[in-house]
Amino acid sequence: MNSMFRFLKSLFLLELFGGMRVTGRHFWRKKITLHYPEERAPVSPRFRALHAQRRYANGEERCIACKLCEVVCPAMAITIESAQREDGSRRTTRYEIDLTKCIFCGFCEESCPVDSIVETHVYEYHGESRDELLMTKEKLLAVGDKYEAQIAAARAQDAKYR
Amino acid sequence: MVNIEINGIKLEARDGAMVIEVADEAGIVIPRFCYHKKLSIAANCRMCLVEVEKVAKPLPACATPVTEGMKVFTHSPKALGAQRAVLEFLLINHPLDCPICDQGGECDLQEMAIGFGGDVSRYAEGKRVVTDPDLGALIATDMGRCIHCTRCVRFGQEVAGMWELGGTGRGEHTRIGTYVADTVDSELSANVVDLCPVGALTSKPYRYSGRPWELVGRPGISPHDCVGANLRADIRGKQIMRVLPQEREEINETWLADRDRFAYLGGRSAERITAPMVKRETGWQATDWDSALTFAAEGLKRVLDVHGPSQLGAWVGDTATVEEAYLTQKLMRALGSGNVDHRLRQVDFRDQEQLPAFPYLGMAIADLERLDGALLIGSNIRKEQPLLGQRLRKAALRGGQIAFINPRAYPFNFPVSQQIVAAHNWVTEVAAVARAALALAGEEIPEGLPEAEVGEAHEAIAAALRSGEQRAVLLGNLAAYHPAQTELRAMAALIARSCGAHFGVLAEGGNSAGAWLAGAVPHRGMAAQPTAVMGRDWRSMAHEGVKGLLLLSTEPESDCIEPLRATQALKQADFVVAINAFASDAARDYADVILPPALYLEAAGTLVNCEGRWQSFEGTTPPPGEARPAWKLLRVLGNLLNAIGFEQLSITDVRDELAPALAVGADNQIPWRVPAPPSFEGGIMRLVDYPIYSVDGLVRRSAPLQQTRDAIAGAVYVAGATLTQVDLGGADRVRVMQGEGEALLPVIVDEAIPVGCVYIPAGTTATAALGGGFGVVEMTHA
Repeated sequence: MNSMFRFLKSLFLLELFGGMRVTGRHFWRKKITLHYPEERAPVSPRFRALHAQRRYANGEERCIACKLCEVVCPAMAITIESAQREDGSRRTTRYEIDLTKCIFCGFCEESCPVDSIVETHVYEYHGESRDELLMTKEKLLAVGDKYEAQIAAARAQDAKYR
Repeated sequence: MVNIEINGIKLEARDGAMVIEVADEAGIVIPRFCYHKKLSIAANCRMCLVEVEKVAKPLPACATPVTEGMKVFTHSPKALGAQRAVLEFLLINHPLDCPICDQGGECDLQEMAIGFGGDVSRYAEGKRVVTDPDLGALIATDMGRCIHCTRCVRFGQEVAGMWELGGTGRGEHTRIGTYVADTVDSELSANVVDLCPVGALTSKPYRYSGRPWELVGRPGISPHDCVGANLRADIRGKQIMRVLPQEREEINETWLADRDRFAYLGGRSAERITAPMVKRETGWQATDWDSALTFAAEGLKRVLDVHGPSQLGAWVGDTATVEEAYLTQKLMRALGSGNVDHRLRQVDFRDQEQLPAFPYLGMAIADLERLDGALLIGSNIRKEQPLLGQRLRKAALRGGQIAFINPRAYPFNFPVSQQIVAAHNWVTEVAAVARAALALAGEEIPEGLPEAEVGEAHEAIAAALRSGEQRAVLLGNLAAYHPAQTELRAMAALIARSCGAHFGVLAEGGNSAGAWLAGAVPHRGMAAQPTAVMGRDWRSMAHEGVKGLLLLSTEPESDCIEPLRATQALKQADFVVAINAFASDAARDYADVILPPALYLEAAGTLVNCEGRWQSFEGTTPPPGEARPAWKLLRVLGNLLNAIGFEQLSITDVRDELAPALAVGADNQIPWRVPAPPSFEGGIMRLVDYPIYSVDGLVRRSAPLQQTRDAIAGAVYVAGATLTQVDLGGADRVRVMQGEGEALLPVIVDEAIPVGCVYIPAGTTATAALGGGFGVVEMTHA
């Protein structure tokens, strides 16, 4: 009995027409595909991508080398060395995030008492070697300087939920 | 004993004990800030408030003595409420700057705030703002964080014996500081960093460089004095970040001297080398181990072949471990030479045959604080062995009669019953005490005891040494440097014997006892066994010359008491192998090959302290670069020189060979011998000592220690009257001549120096060109 049904099913190409029906239905629907990079999907203010270090309005770096992000990082992607700067303040002499290790959990941002380390909306970055994916302090500060407006806007937008 | 109950647990307590002590012993946690078991009770933080049955108000557990049938509740709603309220008060003026505070992560206040603090601050008023005093190179201050527990104040008063920090003002306006701006100069000062329950006092060299959670603590032993203080090196990665005390009641209690704590920074010196270096025609070259060790072995072999084994010698630093000292002497003796010595700060070896197996304190370190009478001959114990000085201070405060016979007056931080200052006639002053002691004991005066006039002070010292339970006569470091060491030792032992007191020696180096036991002396082998070849002591090597020298962890230009003679001997030698972590200019001049060993926290080893306690330790961090543990270098040198018995595979193999030394019992019998003291007639006498921060290469290179007030500069310290005597009144620089050497030194007028004497410290670069230790010097205009 079963074998007869299977024979008839394949004889009349029933499965093929079933598939063509799905294709036909979607053929006439409104498209959701974006023409990236000309078109982009909207991102949440909480979106977590490339890291940045922020500065205060007077140009002073925010990071105070408390090392909370380093200890909270589950992937151990952050390396910090600190020392006393000439003016007596506590500063990092080395701050590195290894993007090949980072899992973009955002704990570093959450732990930061001075909102220094943040994750921006920049997901379009690449590196051709591991070295290029090692974010040094200079690179992080440069990212922060470049996207400060965007970073500040996203934080302002999300502030009431924090 | 009284019976009390804490949280329903029945406990038995000593009469007069405080509730907090009983709770601590039973493992019941009571929060506290101001209470510390080694300090007096202040009861000013109020954090330890507990509820006691039938008492209306909560009571501070640290200041409430136990009474029979007392029922204490440490976690009742009333107690917890009181603790919470106190914490809220303490946090009113606290800046809450934990993210930038070095104490963050190991802060009592932080922990209490988690346990007892509220989660929302109710305080909206302004906070107190205070300035931070500069307390010197070791202690950083952030006084805004201070909660006025006064632990640091009490430490200075009660333990360090220098009341440098104090509280001024009242209530919220209390300030902890020095009142008149000054540095904190105690040799134990950095203990306040450990004591401070908050981040008000932190370590300056460690400032902002690490976090407690990223450090791994590994135990070690301090090699800078004969105490053998137990410490904990905190390591991050491969770097030593800081050194903290490890509690060891019978040795260092909970304290650590600043020297032990900050010496590790010397390892960061620019002179540290991390690859072996060989001197070739073209100059110094860094090279690999194979060629460096072969070069060293070939050089020593050449000396051996050309001049014979008697022209080969080894000088061992007194901070080298037992294993290193043992292998050095084994190598020398395997090559047929007995010339091995570690007593580089001594000049008098006349009684070496009669000496006990090792310099022994004569008692346990902890017994020092129970002494009822003590006579220290030639000791500035406070700066030489700070932790022993602290113990002795406790004895003095308990009423112990502590007397000194020193070549110059030293300031002590405890009541000294007698301090006899005798520069030229030191031997006779000690002889006078010996005569007084013998007279009191009704004993015969032994043959040859120098004639001396017995005065009241001598009689008082002798009488104090006969009264009370525990008495001791201790021979200090200054006696070891003195040319009449033999006489001083014999008479000290005589005094002790006639008074029934302990006789003890405060060894001058961190591992002097270990070096003696390992056989790093010319006349005895390991475990004080007789040796086949009698060697020469370092001084005869330096004066008569040797053609080949092996230096182990020592810098003769600073460590030797006769630095000029030592460097000249090294320069005249055909071949010098220096096993030393630092390549100083002097070493580059005299050495032919420098082999960098691991420093003291980087390799395993054993140190023997003055009470004969063997303390083994492991390396806490791998040595940098190519540096290797010194015992491995010596082992390979032994192999390359075809010496027998150099097959050890691990340091435990070396330790196993040292088993007979471990079995050597402490004994301090010094037989009487007829003294023949040298005289210091004519001219000005130089008094010498090794200042606290000049004792070894590591300490000399520790930058923060060198910035303290105790880092005594190489200069001529002299009383004004002496200067006038030699027509140099008002001179600010003088030319000092001693033996073959001379040096141009600044003059510092110090009226504490006896007239007719000058004090010129040893162990400094400026004084390295001088010809000796205690002795006659001449001074002329610069």
